[in-house]
Amino acid sequence: MPLDTSAYSLALLRVDGRRWNELRRIHAQIRTQAAADGSSYLEMGHTKVMCVVNGPSEPGPRRGATSGGGGGGGQSKNAEVAVNIVIAGFSSVDRKRRGRGDKHILELQSTISQALAASLHTHLFPHSTINISLHVLSQDGSLLAALINAATLACVDAGIPMTDYVAACTAGSTSTYAANDEGADPLLDMNHQEEQELPGLTVATLGDSDRVAVLVCESRVQVSRLEGMLAVGVDGCKQVREILDRVVREKGIKMIQEGTVERGVGLNDMELD
Amino acid sequence: MASSQHVLLSPAELAYLHASLSLTPPIRPDGRSPTQFRPLVAETGILPGTNGSARICFADGTEAIVGVKAEVERTRTRHDFPSLDLDEGAEDDDDLDDNQRDVVKGDNDWVEMTVEIPGYRDDDAGTVFLSAMLSEALLADGEFTKRLWINRRFHWKLYLDILLISPPLSYPLPLLSLTTHLALLATRLPRLKSEGDEDPLFDDDWAAAPYLYPRPTGKKGSKKAASAPTARPPVTLLVMAVGNNIIFDPSKEELAVADVALAVSVGESSSSSSTTSTSSSKPTAMDLDTEETKGHNLRLLSVRTIDPPSRLTPPGIPNASNSAYGANAGAKDTEKKKQQQEQARTAESEAVEGVWKAPRGGAKPLVMAALVQKVLEKGGVADEVLDALDGVDLN
Amino acid sequence: MADRRRINGPVGTTIPPIYDDASEKKSEVARATRSRPANVIRKMYLKTGVTPSASGSAYLEIESSGNGGSGLKLSCSVHGPRALPRSTPFSPHIILSTHVKFAPFATKQRRGYIRDPIERDLGTHLEAALRGSIIADRWPKSGVDIIISIVEGEQDRETSKAQGIEAWDTMNALSGCITVASAALADAGIDCVDTVAGGVAALVQDAGDDAAPSIVVDPIPSEHDKVLAACCIAYLPTRQEVTNLWFKGDLPASDMDVYTQLVEKGIQASKSANRVLVDCLNETVG
Repeated sequence: MPLDTSAYSLALLRVDGRRWNELRRIHAQIRTQAAADGSSYLEMGHTKVMCVVNGPSEPGPRRGATSGGGGGGGQSKNAEVAVNIVIAGFSSVDRKRRGRGDKHILELQSTISQALAASLHTHLFPHSTINISLHVLSQDGSLLAALINAATLACVDAGIPMTDYVAACTAGSTSTYAANDEGADPLLDMNHQEEQELPGLTVATLGDSDRVAVLVCESRVQVSRLEGMLAVGVDGCKQVREILDRVVREKGIKMIQEGTVERGVGLNDMELD
Repeated sequence: MASSQHVLLSPAELAYLHASLSLTPPIRPDGRSPTQFRPLVAETGILPGTNGSARICFADGTEAIVGVKAEVERTRTRHDFPSLDLDEGAEDDDDLDDNQRDVVKGDNDWVEMTVEIPGYRDDDAGTVFLSAMLSEALLADGEFTKRLWINRRFHWKLYLDILLISPPLSYPLPLLSLTTHLALLATRLPRLKSEGDEDPLFDDDWAAAPYLYPRPTGKKGSKKAASAPTARPPVTLLVMAVGNNIIFDPSKEELAVADVALAVSVGESSSSSSTTSTSSSKPTAMDLDTEETKGHNLRLLSVRTIDPPSRLTPPGIPNASNSAYGANAGAKDTEKKKQQQEQARTAESEAVEGVWKAPRGGAKPLVMAALVQKVLEKGGVADEVLDALDGVDLN
Repeated sequence: MADRRRINGPVGTTIPPIYDDASEKKSEVARATRSRPANVIRKMYLKTGVTPSASGSAYLEIESSGNGGSGLKLSCSVHGPRALPRSTPFSPHIILSTHVKFAPFATKQRRGYIRDPIERDLGTHLEAALRGSIIADRWPKSGVDIIISIVEGEQDRETSKAQGIEAWDTMNALSGCITVASAALADAGIDCVDTVAGGVAALVQDAGDDAAPSIVVDPIPSEHDKVLAACCIAYLPTRQEVTNLWFKGDLPASDMDVYTQLVEKGIQASKSANRVLVDCLNETVG
């Protein structure tokens, strides 16, 4: 179904009623699962993902047994970040099953793995593996961004030392490449419909800084528009970081109140209401 | 993966666990009673994008999500499918209901089930075994696929995606089965507006969509006894025996010392459907069924032996054959050595008190029958589980 | 998973056309009915040592149902015990790996070269059945491969209506697999507690709905109106133990007796098959 972009210029409202710089509702939870070292659940609009982190741990004997290779992964000085993405068959509107060898999934996996390996202190855990398994339950655009955010939260929950949050979000442009519209406005946080039609990119930044950790642009777009999109994207990442930070802090406060964890010494300035 | 994942327990630990589970009453590591299940958290309807979905979290942290998705598919007219031909209705070689012209037929191909276990390939033997077991139970009575029939030309194709979110800490069969059960109960298909063999047209109103498994008409909050028993999706339970004890819902460690483990699938059919279906026209059973309107109308759908991982555990070495305890000390001459070997042989085949030995051989048929009996008996575990699942709020 | 390494034939059924004999009335072409007594299994032919290159092998053929149908033909080879590859972690027991594969031409529906879920499922069942009989701790750090190819599946060529019958055929195939694998294991000289053999019993409904269902041993699904339930059993006769049990069907829970009888009959079928197995092994030795 083609997306009607002509209406945007009239009311400056997108198909789902947002303004150009508005994020969709982000809802996140951490420590959703008792068995894992770290876990999280994240919704960005209708995109819903779940993340389970196990590790850092010794590379499992099972992996060696099934692949027959063994050994290899655990020999490095840094911990290996192994990402496994399962896209559920029921996640999209039309059921589509992707196998494990799907190229698209492999690319997502390696992107996330590299982004996290750079921000986690993997050098503290030589000869070990951090297993991140991501489950996509529902897709409505910004999949990579949601996966990165969920993985970040789960890593925080797992207590793996990291430099800062890796917060991600998408940015697009209001008109298609073919329209060649120089004055097109940038858009923040694209949904599935917009992703189908409009040029877009996924950007992830490291914490509060403007340092970009991931930048993926898989569509054709004029260079002149790119800068605006990137600026909006980076700005969105900061908003996302705030939301993630709030989720972590709220959970932390709750855990202190419930007595699950000791109140740390450095937390005096934190208000526990 | 199968049940035979590696259990990191020493022979001494295994022997201790086996001994404590064989006591009467058995002492389980987590203090449960033999028939008690692990506490669980369940919710349904978590994914609006699916026709039905459910999530179950066991207290030990294992978690599964099941999503059901239905698509309309054109029924392939098969020349070897006599009931689809118009003029062949008179032939009685099929189990047609005589009063119904439009024979509702199902085909097992209409249901597709996939199981995803993190860390395992989807064609791994264990994963295939799990999905075969779950779909076998679902399709066993042949009634389920009939629910997917739209008209002669179209039917629903049902995709069941079963995801295990957590790593498989214990054998995930009961968890996956219970989650699938709830997801199917929560599944709704759009209401059909077209009639006869037209191209199907559906009502847009999701609130009007009927459930795949119709709800009892009685008040929802009222006791089960008030409403007539309705058909339910099957439930597969994991049962194991240690010594003389029968233990339900074993954890991974408990399964590691099992003498025998069985997966028993139990279904519940509505009393009305069992009177019409020719498959169960056993007069004696029929009379019984009509009497017992209160309890669950249970049916045994499938039983499978699960290869217990206990067969792969490392054996302990009794002192008699342990050289560190002087078993072979001074065995200089060959004659003596031979004798020692003979002793070792007997030690290998005979059980020594307190020394773990992987079970050999199978299980007595009586033990197996007792396991199944324990599941099915009135007020037994299957009854209990189904009652407990009734308590889950389906939205 | 698609098989991309070979040129595959078209998928789908290839049933040769069957023309009606004008002299016969159509309804007269009744399907075969069971001629054996209810508690007798079909004749079978079993021979060990058919594959010289394997450490143990066996071939099993089960008599065809007579009516143009094909019997079951299975060949099994056992390779091992042999050392495991270096990378495999230590195992105190012998590691069994079972492969069951239908030949592409074994059934009406052509089978591909890659094992489908049914074949993998059969493999798992077979593994469970054999693991109980093998004395696994006599071979630490070693593995054995059991490979079964089903050369001809059991299918009635006359009946065109295949609906729902395959499921029951799988059970017959499994019982054959267990018997033939047990013979091949014995041929390979791998220590077992006993020879395990497979047996199938089914609760069937014959002609007409009023007839009470009866239990038959070694059923041929096409000979019966409807199979209500069936069970396949792997049984160790001297120890009187069951190593694998697979029951499938639809039985009311109040009918535990029927279930028990079904299992008993399955054991009986397994015992009969075991007699053939032992005779065959004695022949080889003597």
